[in-house]
Amino acid sequence: MEEAGAYMIGEKQVFAWVAALLQHAQVIAPRRLRGSDVAYDAVESPDQVAWDYRTSVSPLKRRLFPQIEPMFSWHRQAGDGIELRPVYDETERVFLAIRPCDLSAVFLLDRVFSRDHPDTYYLTRRQHSSLVALACTQPDEHCFCICAHAGPFLAGGYDLQLTPLPTGYLVEVGTDKGWELVRQAEELFSVAPASAVQARRELAQQAEQRFADDRAYFAAALRKVTFDRVPEELWDQMGERCLSCGACAFVCPTCTCFTTADFNGTGDGVRCRLWDSCLYESHALEASGHNPRAERRHRLKARFFHKLSYQFAQKLGSHGCVGCGRCITACLGRNDMTKVTARIRRGEL
Amino acid sequence: MENPYLPDLAEIVSLRDETPDTKTFALRFRDRRRWESFNYRPGQFVEVSVFGVGEAPFCLASPRQGAESFDITVRSTGAVTRALHALGPGQHLGVRGPLGNGFPLDEVKGRDILFVGGGIGLPPLRPLISTMLGRRDQFRSITVLYGARTPADLVYKHELARWRARPDMEFMVTVDVPDQDWRDHIGVVGSLLPKASIQPSSTVAFVCGPPIMIKFVVRDLLQLGLREDSIITTLERHMRCGIGKCNHCLIGDKYVCIDGPVFTYRQMKAMMDPG
Repeated sequence: MEEAGAYMIGEKQVFAWVAALLQHAQVIAPRRLRGSDVAYDAVESPDQVAWDYRTSVSPLKRRLFPQIEPMFSWHRQAGDGIELRPVYDETERVFLAIRPCDLSAVFLLDRVFSRDHPDTYYLTRRQHSSLVALACTQPDEHCFCICAHAGPFLAGGYDLQLTPLPTGYLVEVGTDKGWELVRQAEELFSVAPASAVQARRELAQQAEQRFADDRAYFAAALRKVTFDRVPEELWDQMGERCLSCGACAFVCPTCTCFTTADFNGTGDGVRCRLWDSCLYESHALEASGHNPRAERRHRLKARFFHKLSYQFAQKLGSHGCVGCGRCITACLGRNDMTKVTARIRRGEL
Repeated sequence: MENPYLPDLAEIVSLRDETPDTKTFALRFRDRRRWESFNYRPGQFVEVSVFGVGEAPFCLASPRQGAESFDITVRSTGAVTRALHALGPGQHLGVRGPLGNGFPLDEVKGRDILFVGGGIGLPPLRPLISTMLGRRDQFRSITVLYGARTPADLVYKHELARWRARPDMEFMVTVDVPDQDWRDHIGVVGSLLPKASIQPSSTVAFVCGPPIMIKFVVRDLLQLGLREDSIITTLERHMRCGIGKCNHCLIGDKYVCIDGPVFTYRQMKAMMDPG
């Protein structure tokens, strides 16, 4: 098959392709839950992929950095012996039809988990995964990825990017891994005509016009947060609204705070890591009882410093938000990214 | 790929009561080759696991050179430290490390060296003191000022006696609350500063102890005329991973676990801490 930058796959052929992918990998794709919610979940058959979804309730993060994951187990042996066995997840996975915001977040997680001491657990999963994006032609109600340069179409980073066209999907190839996915089922793909590539360009431009009202003015917020020019009263007022529930962190595709816990069996056990949130009162609590971030305003300030300062943007390659809009739905205190950046810009609630 | 979360097995060689709530454990890796590659510098720390209870960070409290084991000094405070205190010789622990940046050593050659330790703040300083005493000719004066709440709260008592006996260093000790037998200084550790002979322009000070002690000692040292980057301390924060991933020990954009735990006062001042 001719190696090209973009291919076409027909609507019917997509089903055959998913069936072929399922032969050699676990396929994680948008799947309808009871009701109208969609989640990135394992599918067992091609008809379970919800191609027409807008956004998933939870980000793709949990599939690479699970909410609870075993790190290693220990086994007490006769005498005083103890044996440790690390637990790695080497399942081959195709993340199929994932929204650009969630993949942009994965690119950020890649940097977080690769820098300094590389994170074996995340990187093992990542090495065994392929990323197939589904570009957004119609943003959802709270989407603002356009402010974060994280969508509605990806400029790169994906293995494959699919764009829905009237006759099927345009398939852009981003990496060798993506090319390999196409080549393994080459009878289903054809080289894309110039008209399809042109149609994709137009769809991307149209999608950019279709965002609703939510916006985040990151540049202004970054300047003020970096130089600590946000009035303390504003952190105070926003802290008053924070329930310290951690919902924002749990739906956030870029949040990575975790803690660890040991679970005991008889003679053996397992150490797990679990998601944590910097908004929990116990996050910085020390064994002595001293808590350097005992107050909500301090925790909120630390959270947004992590998301919105040049210091962190420099470490991570970008600010820590991809504009998925999930915190807008999740935060009962209305401390979501769009409102917080707007207040920071104004300097008042 | 090396797994930075997977501990290596170590064994408790011996343990010693330091104070009513503090013990020093000497640990040895089960795998001898692990010890050979375990090259650490004073000021670095380890994450120690009691399997089934959890993991906590402890400073390496003894010098590496010439040793067959390494010390951690542990005050019984939380779940992991309580479990540690219940263990005895021969029992197994998990150890990850060495972690963190460590104290400057070669960088302060030729300077006057001042140590100020408060209570359980002496253990991080101990390997640096020992190392400098072992390379005595590379430094000018060495002064150790140590304070604790009561005489019973002083750690490394046998070592304090040796330091006091050495002619090539100055050692002073004080307690806040004396007992009947106490014949030495009384008062906070900062009250020893005027009694010591300190050359502000050539002195580098290593300060370790509770936050309130650090605050006042740093103030006094600045008043004496020490430069902000000649005052060096170690910070403590709640830590989980020790490798800059879990975000618990963040202060502004600095991870205490990988950017520290050793910071100069100048660096500390620049760290934006919301708390």
